[in-house]
Parts: sequence; C-alpha cells; structure tokens
Amino acid sequence: MKMLRDVGLLYRRGLIHTLRIPVWVVVGISTPLLYLALFTPLLQNLAGAPGFPPTDVLDLFLPGILALMAFGSGTGAGFAIIFEIQAGFTERLQVSPASRFALLMGPVLSSLTWTYIFTIMIVAVAIPFGFHLHLAGMLVSLVLLGLLLMVFASFSIALALITKEISSLAAIMNGINLPVLLLSGVLLPLSLAPTWMRAIAHMNPMYYVVEANRILATGTIYDAKVGEAFLIMVPLTVVVMAWATRVYRRAVS
Amino acid sequence: MKNVVTTTELRKSFKSKKGVVEAVRGVELHVGEGEIFGFLGPNGAGKTTTLRMLATLLPIESGEAMVAGFDVKKQPHEVRRRVGYVSQAGGGDRLSTGREDLILQGQLYGMSTTDANARADELIDDLDLGEFAGRRVVTYSGGQRRRLDVGLGIMHRPDVLFLDEPTTGLDPQNRANLWELIRQLSGSGTSIFLTTHYLDEADVLSNRLAIMDHGLIVAEGTSRELKQEIAADSVVVSLKSDEGCSGATELLRQESYVSHITTEADHLRLYVDDGVAALPKLLRLLDGNGIGVRTITLSEPTLDDVFLRHTGRSLHKAGMNQRNGDSE
Ligand SMILES: Nc1ncnc2c1ncn2[C@@H]1O[C@H](COP(=O)(O)OP(=O)(O)O)[C@@H](O)[C@H]1O
Ligand SMILES: [Mg+2]
Repeated sequence: MKMLRDVGLLYRRGLIHTLRIPVWVVVGISTPLLYLALFTPLLQNLAGAPGFPPTDVLDLFLPGILALMAFGSGTGAGFAIIFEIQAGFTERLQVSPASRFALLMGPVLSSLTWTYIFTIMIVAVAIPFGFHLHLAGMLVSLVLLGLLLMVFASFSIALALITKEISSLAAIMNGINLPVLLLSGVLLPLSLAPTWMRAIAHMNPMYYVVEANRILATGTIYDAKVGEAFLIMVPLTVVVMAWATRVYRRAVS
Repeated sequence: MKNVVTTTELRKSFKSKKGVVEAVRGVELHVGEGEIFGFLGPNGAGKTTTLRMLATLLPIESGEAMVAGFDVKKQPHEVRRRVGYVSQAGGGDRLSTGREDLILQGQLYGMSTTDANARADELIDDLDLGEFAGRRVVTYSGGQRRRLDVGLGIMHRPDVLFLDEPTTGLDPQNRANLWELIRQLSGSGTSIFLTTHYLDEADVLSNRLAIMDHGLIVAEGTSRELKQEIAADSVVVSLKSDEGCSGATELLRQESYVSHITTEADHLRLYVDDGVAALPKLLRLLDGNGIGVRTITLSEPTLDDVFLRHTGRSLHKAGMNQRNGDSE
C-alpha cells in the first residue's frame, strides 16, 4: 500500500538525517544522563521524608526521567520541520502524491525510534545504580512513553506548520514546557503536592503517564492507574495525530 | 494545440491583521502543450499565489483551473501526479545527497526503487549533476542547487513543470545555463510555466507570456505581439534644464504623431508611430521653442514599454516600490 511505503521512506530518511547531525544524538543521550547524575543524589537525602513513597530513589525517579525524555523529543520534533518549511522541502512533499499521514508519521516514528534507543540505554545504565528492572512492566511503560511522544511530536509538528517560524514555535513550546513538567510529578511525585495542584494535574496527559510508569516500574501491570493512562493516552494520540494530518492536508496558506 | 493549463476567473485573497489582500483577482490564462509560458510581473503581483493554486498547494477560492487534463479543485491527486513544481525556495533536502534526494522524490511519486535509481542516474547525466550528486545538498552553490531543484521537479516525468522565479539570485553564467536547460526540457516535450520579474527572461526564454500586475493579467501573447500592440517606438528625451519638462510635455502633447507621453524624474518618454520620421521633427520643435535637449534616444518597444503602457508604471520601478512596501 502506497501509504505504508511512504511512511517507510520518510521514516528511513528521518533516521538517517538524525545520524548526520551527531550533536543531536549526543544531546539526546547526555541530557537524561545529567539528570540521573545530578538529581538523584539530591533525592537520596529526601527518601524517607514525610509524603515520600517508600521505594528506592531510582525506582521512583527513573520513570519520570523517561517520560521527560519522551516529552522532550516530542516537543522538539517541530523544530526540524521549520527548517524544512523554510528550505521548501515541506512544500515539495505537499505537492507530491505522498500520503499526508506519512508526511507526519515519518518524522514522528524516527523520533520515536531514537527515543527508544536512548531510553533503553539509560535504563541499562541505571540498573547498576540500583534501579530494579521489571521487564514486563518496562515494556508496557515503553508503549505509554511512545504514545506520549507521538502526542507531543504531532502537536509540535502541527504548530510548526501553522506558525512556520522558529521563534513562535519556541515561545509556545517553552510556554507549555514548565506547566506540563511541574504538573506531571515528573521530578517530584505529586503525592507531595497540595490537593488543588493534584486536581489541575489531572488535565495533564503527562501526569497519567508518569503515575502509571511509577507503578509499572514496581512490576505491577494490572493497576487502575495503568488502565487510566491508556484510556487517556490512546484516544488523545488518535485525536492529535488526526488533527496534525489535517494540518498537513489543508494546503498551507 | 492542446492546452495543459487553463484558468477562468481564478481568485485568491488572504486575510491578515491589516485586512484582506486580494492577491489574485480573476486570472484567465492558458498554456499550450510544449510551450514555455512566461509569467512576468513585479514582486507582489500574485504570480506565486497563482502558481501555488495551480499546483494544488493553495485552495482555489473561486474560479476554475484545469491542469494536465484534470480539474484542480475536484481531482488534485491526479494533478499532483502530472505536475512538477519547483518553488522559489527550491526544496532540496539539505542533509541528503542530491542522488538520495532524487531517488526519494521518485519513490514518493510511486516509482519502484529500481526505476527511481535508473531515473536518478539518467537525470544526473542529462542535467550534469555528476560532479556534486554524491555530496550533501547543504554544500551546493546556488547554481548547483537550482539544477538539482529542476531535476527533482522532473524526476517523475511530469506533463507540466512549474518554475517559480527559477533564475532569481543566479549569476549570469548560471542563468544562461539554466535557460539552456529549460529550452532542452521544452524541446523534449515538457510544457513549462515559469514566473519571472526579469524582462529579458520573459522576452527571450518564453514562447508566450502573460504580464501580471496587482493580481490581474494585463496582457497576454507572444512577446512580438505584445510589442506590436503598442505599435510605437519610444523616444526618451532628457532636457538640459528640469524646468523645461512641463513646458515640453505640453508642447509635444499637441503633436499628432505623438501617441503617449510619460514624465519620469528628469526625462520624457514619448511613444511615436514612426521613430525615424519623428526624431528630426521633435528636435526642430523643441529647439524652435528654446528648450535645450541634452540627449535623445530612439528605441523599439520593449516589454517594459508594454508594462508601462498597461499599468502606467515601469516594471523596474514597480518592483522597487513593491519591495520597499513589503513588510518582510
Ligand atoms: N500567505 C499569505 N498571507 C498573506 N498574504 C499573502 C500570502 N501569500 C501572498 N500574500 C500576498 O499576496 C500578494 C501576492 O503575493 P505573491 O503571489 O507572492 O506575488 P509574486 O509571486 O508575484 O511576487 C502579495 O501582496 C503578498 O504579500
Ligand atoms: Mg513570487
């Protein structure tokens, strides 16, 4: 089918292009490593404090970092598209008979692939430092992380197509960055937060992924919070991707 | 001759904060099969907007357009498979090599990988891309990039190739090379629709052309037809003193052989039926009235004269004004 072939062609292109800018690969891998190296020691002293769940620090913290990586790669996906718009490449794709869904899916999947590679590397690094790997839980986690990335990557790409310039896109992405992070419990669990903050967090898709990931990291899969995360993330992914495909389809003005 | 592009009453306006910009206001044109059709107009005339509508990139607001035998509004997908479009920005994929990019383009147009490879090699040969096709596009010079852009545009052997300002920013040598390439393409049967704001390009390269200004086509035909239409030679007179200008204009306007006069900064431009006969008469008249002439030149009409006659401005100046007025 033409659509699948187009997805494959643009996916391959995306993978190769990332390799051709090695600095992306370096930053992609070093950012989460820095978090691990510079943030975990702080948490170590917090463990046992009131309101803090009684688990190993890394078990608590790593699921958040992984969500952070997926979120970061997702929101970053639009920036490459801005350059492609300015080089006329996007218009060239739009004037071709290539599937519009493939125009979106190619870059999203290649970003997903790289993020998975980094994720697995980070997890492997964390194990000797005390992270307890539960394989089945981790696999389910990866699916949720993938959905999270696809939501934010599609959102970021659609905004790139609408704004067409880097400063607007950067402003919007910075604007959503902080609230999404703080209201997700990604750095510190929201069990420490006041009730009103937890209420707002329920509007944040990232919150559900982080919560579910923490449970999955303990090896529990059949949990209401995990179910809830899928119930939120699957439809959200479908809706955001459908919208982004529409933005591609609607000829750019 | 069959037409590969036909439009009727094509319109497009953009809404912005400052209000509505009517970019294209009822364009009617046709491009014949195998033709090089030039679309001449100053910056902001609406050329790109027209082209993008024809190439399915912008929704048509109202009017009809048939391209390569299909209705652009009803069957954009069929149109896409049959047209090539090279935007002003180009469209080369900067991190790919030229060869990789050609192959991707072919595959996206539905070619098998084997066919795409063979076609890429053929184009690398035909368009003389061999020297740089293995390098990343980001390293290309302007001229090299343009040649690749054209290659990308014709990779799938389109019936019609749209080229938006293909030679803008190229040096004379590269410009000449690209003209040669466009002629070759036309010779091999591809119909070409190019926009330009260069008079000479429209004049020399295109078989037929349309002149656009403020969203409207003000003239269409072969360059020769358009020039004959004004049926006049132009005489440019510059006077020894600027004050003489208005007096001279008054005086000359009354002469029966002068069909049209415009005043520009420090000189007069008059259109006369027969320049050779008019010249001595003009000199005698001005001299007899004590108006000193510094220089006088006689020229056959150019496309700029055609533009001037239809719009009241010189194309050169129209372009300048537009550029100053642009917010970008
Ligand atoms: N996306 C857009 N939004 C708003 N105005 C636009 C847009 N595209 C073009 N225009 C305006 O439409 C007019 C025609 O532009 P264009 O077709 O690019 O002219 P040309 O290609 O002849 O230089 C200009 O006034 C331009 O500013
Ligand atoms: Mg233009």
